[in-house]
Amino acid sequence: MSEQPDVSAFCPKGDVLVIAEQILGDLQPVTLELLGAGRLLADKMERNLKCLVLGYNLGDIPQKLIEAGADEVYVADDKELFSYRTLPYRRVVIDFLDSLPEAPHTCLLGSTTTGRDLAPRISAHFDTGLTADCTELDIGPYEHKNKVDPSKIGLYPNCLYAIRPSFGESLKARILGPWKNPQMATTRPGVMTPNKYEPGRKGKITTVPVKLIPEDYRLIVADTVREVSKGVKLTEADVIIGGGYGLGSADGFDLLRQLADTFENSAIGASRKVVDLGWIPYQHQVGQTGKTVRPKLYIACGISGAIQHRVGMSKSGLIIAINKDPDSPIFKFAHHGIVGDIYQIVPEMIKQFAEIQSGRGVEAVVGSH
Amino acid sequence: MSAGLNIYVLVKQVPDTGSKAGLNPDGTIDRAKAKRMLNPFDRFALQAALHAKRTYGGKVTAISMGPPPAVEILLETLEHGVDEAYLLSDRRLAASDTLATAYALYKVLNYIGKPDLIFCGLQTTDGDTAQVGPQLAERLGLPQVTYCEDFHMEDGKVHARRIIEGGYQKVVAETPLLLTVANSYHPLEYKSFRGAWRVRRLARDQEELKKFIHTIDLDLVGADPDRTGLKGSPTIVAATEKVGELGGSCKMHEGQSAHELVGDVLKASDLSQFLVGAAQK
Repeated sequence: MSEQPDVSAFCPKGDVLVIAEQILGDLQPVTLELLGAGRLLADKMERNLKCLVLGYNLGDIPQKLIEAGADEVYVADDKELFSYRTLPYRRVVIDFLDSLPEAPHTCLLGSTTTGRDLAPRISAHFDTGLTADCTELDIGPYEHKNKVDPSKIGLYPNCLYAIRPSFGESLKARILGPWKNPQMATTRPGVMTPNKYEPGRKGKITTVPVKLIPEDYRLIVADTVREVSKGVKLTEADVIIGGGYGLGSADGFDLLRQLADTFENSAIGASRKVVDLGWIPYQHQVGQTGKTVRPKLYIACGISGAIQHRVGMSKSGLIIAINKDPDSPIFKFAHHGIVGDIYQIVPEMIKQFAEIQSGRGVEAVVGSH
Repeated sequence: MSAGLNIYVLVKQVPDTGSKAGLNPDGTIDRAKAKRMLNPFDRFALQAALHAKRTYGGKVTAISMGPPPAVEILLETLEHGVDEAYLLSDRRLAASDTLATAYALYKVLNYIGKPDLIFCGLQTTDGDTAQVGPQLAERLGLPQVTYCEDFHMEDGKVHARRIIEGGYQKVVAETPLLLTVANSYHPLEYKSFRGAWRVRRLARDQEELKKFIHTIDLDLVGADPDRTGLKGSPTIVAATEKVGELGGSCKMHEGQSAHELVGDVLKASDLSQFLVGAAQK
């Protein structure tokens, strides 16, 4: 470690801040994941892990956040924060960050409909960098040599590495912006590992003032509705039958639903292409711009297996792919590949599964939900 | 609002990853050779903007930022019924990240007029960030509705439905307002034959076309070049790496009847444990 340039000017202090997310009092799983990821970053830099939570009647949520890994929790509890709204939440977060003696080093939010709505507002307000939908985070050094902007040249010892797949390319991009704190990122739900709960863990809980102005009321929430799940939720299913462009038409999903019905706790997934084509609603989309799933069994029907789909399902326990094209990328990472026509293979599967079931004396349930 | 709504739709030209042209053998994109297309998410924003115009009256202006070929997608928006379009094209914009892009678009909007409604696609297929819309709203100081999947106007206010995890929110917002449109919104309608014909005829005469598609640069809109491009971007792509080598451990089943193929897979892996009724056994 000799002859390193003086890096103190480029060595921003500051803690790691997670902005928690709750919907109608339900702490969202991504918050616990962020506390897991944030803990690692904070420990690596020997900083504290802070957490800001906004809402109304938050009860024991602040203590839960400490038990999930936060050292200090800041609580903005006000009836105006009951439902998420961009402008009031934005106001409270900005005022909070302004009130700190020192900007956090890193600020993390979930890559959810809330996090992706709020984070860009904060980043634009403070003119700091924001990386969307990260699948890995780390802290490390970076030496900037590009002469386009001489003021940026230098060695930066503690940078947030925001790592995300880069679309359409089998590459991961490491994105960073150490020039200004907080360095911001949103992380994809379901990817980071939460800390183990430590019941009774002690930490400081501080109340954050909520001061809104009339401009913050330009949008009101008339209603927040959580739909009683129709069928099994994609992210909680044990078995997912995924459909892609190879189905040929929207009707192909009828066949996949029949296949799904032969399994316990199953759901239908889809590639983006068929969602864009309107064959099936967005809620079913698996992959980079859809959901990340880890079922015990994933049967991919007519899905080519492009990187955008793969990142959302490659951690499935067992992947069986059916595709006409033997060179399809999905055969590079599936466990079993069947080269053939979906409309011959899937009915045959349904038939053979029914035989197994009738052998057990259980009647096959077909097309029931 | 006697003159009707001033509606803007922001669109981007992206590489067409669905086509094999311009795809390198290793799956990376050769952007020079790749076919280009209107960002698929923007089709929903375009539909929303045209719907607002048809239902409540007004004018739709499309805005894009990109190199000169992006005129192609602006022509496409005109074919669908957009009234006028602006292309912000400037070499100094190269390597802009989302924040620098939002700044440039903010200067464009300030330059061309007072919006009532601004529609953006949820995100782009080449960046996948979903950040530019909200960052632009922040610069403009506007409220926003992201993940909008339906909307109507009543007494000058926008009533919108936005997706949240496991449900939705119903919101009522004042204008001016920025909306990002989810792909659960209505798909883009086919362009009318007349509209497409009118635009194709227009496109033959470059001078005539300039009345409908304005190419503008940073100086014209009064943008500070230091706040755009690489210099104005707080983030950089520091490194890229290959996503973990793919296993090649896939056991292939082919060249037999469907009956044999399925039988083979069933022999090789215990799928029966997942079937309905397996728990009772």
